[in-house]
Amino acid sequence: MKERRDIAKKEEKNIEKTRELRSAIPAVDIYENEDEILLHADMPGVLKEDVAVNIDNGTLSLSGVRKLETKGVLKWEEFNDVEYIRSFSIPQTIETEKVEAELKDGVLKLHLPKSEAAKPKQIEIKAA
Amino acid sequence: MFTRMSDIDRMFGAMDLLRNKMGRIFGDFDRSLDYGPGLTLSSSGPRTNLYEDGDTFEIRAEVPGIVKDDLNVSIQGNYLEINGSRSLDTPEGYKIHRAERGTSTFSRSFTLPNDVDAEKVEANLKDGILYLKVPKSEAAKPKQITIR
Repeated sequence: MKERRDIAKKEEKNIEKTRELRSAIPAVDIYENEDEILLHADMPGVLKEDVAVNIDNGTLSLSGVRKLETKGVLKWEEFNDVEYIRSFSIPQTIETEKVEAELKDGVLKLHLPKSEAAKPKQIEIKAA
Repeated sequence: MFTRMSDIDRMFGAMDLLRNKMGRIFGDFDRSLDYGPGLTLSSSGPRTNLYEDGDTFEIRAEVPGIVKDDLNVSIQGNYLEINGSRSLDTPEGYKIHRAERGTSTFSRSFTLPNDVDAEKVEANLKDGILYLKVPKSEAAKPKQITIR
């Protein structure tokens, strides 16, 4: 009982928290051909500086923070400042050094090239 | 049953409180913040915000991946309509693993709280968000009144 009381006291002393950034899952499209995997993610309102793409041990994680400046009185609101977060498992055969990313019109486009070894090979049958 | 006037008063006070709370519940349902992915296959249109700043309204809409030629904004009186369509740049010769973003044609319309000046509307498209600055019409602008 004593411990519980201590916890309660601590909470009372806490200063008021400002609004936390909510996280959202961006919608993605994933395409693949023989040379690369393409990933398109919707991140409207996110600036280039606020996007982070990490590839670590077969996991690709995306993060984009949207900070919008607002002015005036809010009449209605359906979207807000948010952090777009999503992770994917990617094959080890992706060449991480050659990954390219571009952000245009609120869409993040990632090019994940496959390593030479992972590309499908046509095997020629020699005539005996 | 009611011995004093203050009992009745208190009862009505409690009823008012309940009514306010109920009103707020429905307000939340009507236009609530939505932290989902936004414009996807199943959504009916882009999400929007409306701000009022003195003599202008600012409307924002989430339109990722839409170029300005595919957007159409029209205003009549205090009625505003945003039309658009999203075509995806699906690359040729690729296998599709996941398609969540979706192509869509949408139309959203609003009735603004005041009449607006359709001639002076500014529309900007930046980073997948459409910003509309709509000035109120002269009659609807707030006026400073001097006290004599």
